[in-house]
Amino acid sequence: MGKRKRARESDKNNEKENVSKEIETLPATVYSDEPPKKQTKWTNKERVLIFSSRGISFRARHLMIDLRTLMPHSKSESKMDRKDKLFVINEMCEMKNCNKCLFFEGKKKQDLYLWASNCPRGPSVKFLVENVHTMSELKMTGNCLKASRPLLSFDPTFDKEMHWSLLKELFIQTFSTPNHHPKSQPFFDHVFTFSILDNRIWFRNYQILEEDGSLVEIGPRFVLNPIRMFEGSFGGTTLYVNPHYISPNEHRRVLKAKVAQKYINRVHVKKSLETRNTGQSYILDPTDDVFVTIRPEEATGAAKNTFYRKAD
Amino acid sequence: MSDNESSDAESIDSDTELQRAFASGHLKPGLNVEVAPKLYINNVAAMKHKLEEFKQHLEWIERLDLTNDPTQTPGGNQATEEQGDSVADDDFKREMKFYRQAQDTALEGIAKLHKLNIKTRRPEDYFAEMAKSDDHMKKVREKLLERQLAMERSEKAKKLRDLRKYGRKVQQDVLQKRQKEKKEMLDAVKKFRKGQKDKLEFLNSLKSNGMKQKPRQKKGDRKHVPNKRRDFKNKKFGFGGQKKRGKYNSSGSSADMRKTFSIAVNQKQQGKKKGKNYKHKPSRPGKAKRQKMKNRKR
Repeated sequence: MGKRKRARESDKNNEKENVSKEIETLPATVYSDEPPKKQTKWTNKERVLIFSSRGISFRARHLMIDLRTLMPHSKSESKMDRKDKLFVINEMCEMKNCNKCLFFEGKKKQDLYLWASNCPRGPSVKFLVENVHTMSELKMTGNCLKASRPLLSFDPTFDKEMHWSLLKELFIQTFSTPNHHPKSQPFFDHVFTFSILDNRIWFRNYQILEEDGSLVEIGPRFVLNPIRMFEGSFGGTTLYVNPHYISPNEHRRVLKAKVAQKYINRVHVKKSLETRNTGQSYILDPTDDVFVTIRPEEATGAAKNTFYRKAD
Repeated sequence: MSDNESSDAESIDSDTELQRAFASGHLKPGLNVEVAPKLYINNVAAMKHKLEEFKQHLEWIERLDLTNDPTQTPGGNQATEEQGDSVADDDFKREMKFYRQAQDTALEGIAKLHKLNIKTRRPEDYFAEMAKSDDHMKKVREKLLERQLAMERSEKAKKLRDLRKYGRKVQQDVLQKRQKEKKEMLDAVKKFRKGQKDKLEFLNSLKSNGMKQKPRQKKGDRKHVPNKRRDFKNKKFGFGGQKKRGKYNSSGSSADMRKTFSIAVNQKQQGKKKGKNYKHKPSRPGKAKRQKMKNRKR
């Protein structure tokens, strides 16, 4: 009996403390002798499979590894053969217990595509990845805990059009580390930034240095150019096609054509010169000027070497 | 000729195409077939449906997403900014935009977390694995330091250059002054000769100054200094050490963060001046030219 009473008293005390806690401001730092909370409240079992096809460049591989280190809820898989059909990935995800997937696809050893998909039921999006900078570059001076949960920052443009809001939801589900994830750390020291500029999505990762809002970039940084959105995962009916998208092949073709134009012009000029210079215009007797002598003083060009006046 | 033929063939092809198009009634008064504009799918309804289907209705703490307008300054004022491609192309403006967005999110997010009674910062003595290794961070710090040093160095050089420029000006002034004095002196001498003046004042002043001249060094006394080219060759070919494999990368050279290879520096011939203004030694003219010259002399 006594025990219960005591418990009630402690409850009352707790309530009092709670009231007083609400009034006083919370210290921002966790004390080191505070016992770590047992993370039993892990309800959001989101897992992301991050892997690639064969034939991606070293930079793309580094980017993939960076994403893996920053996302404790990610899983890896060995590279997929280029010949395999994409819908095989759905089965892979099922086997790995993942319900999101980031799949890097390298083409021609230079172009990098990224598939982001919600795995069994869709939607899925294909992006072209441009301007990749990895975390290992020395320009990015920030650092963060390997498994802390990121804050996700979005541009207001994401709410303006349907395809952007669809992407926003997909990104939130993919990139946010679930609360109380066993591998995660209970601190907040970095921000993932997604902004839309020039019809592309720009990704940045900043470290929160001080809580008054000074940031340093950690990396990686990349630009996602959406190409197509599908209803299913890695297939299905098309929901959206980006009208501003220019494939890298087309881009390269245009550049090459510009250079080629120079050569074509030169050939045209040569041709037109040939047509204008028709060769002999009047038939002359070549023996006519046999007896024409040129005085050495008046000689020009090669004739200068024919005669010279003897010095007296 | 073959080109002409092929172009003829092409024109015939296009003619038949045109005829066909005319027959099928595609041809409009402008004699051009109308190309149907490419259709880009944008199925808003289906996207809405899909969004509703796969949206998770979770608390904010599970998602941690925030939407922040980078054009809005923290005070709520609209910052003046142009939109579109100009920002995308301007590195500084673009990064500033992203930074501001992230900053707003960080401030708002952390305030929100504190409101939910969640502490955000880790204790000072809390050590855990970081995203970047200590080795890497050391490299980053070295790089930063290096850049700072380079900046200082260039600043110093700039200052020195300015000083030298100033020194040159001072020297010119001194020379001019000397010339002027000399001229005055000569004038005075002339006047003295003509008998317009009684005395030469500068003789006294010269005596008081005590003109001194350094005795000239003898030729043999000067110490011999080899030229730069010879110096480098001595270093390269002289006395001992391994000459082979000298140009290979080593672990040290590849890990060296400071130096980046530059052809202008690393592959230039030692002791030779560089730059466009350096004139080469007149080369020996070609055979035909030389014979021509020889003929002319005869």
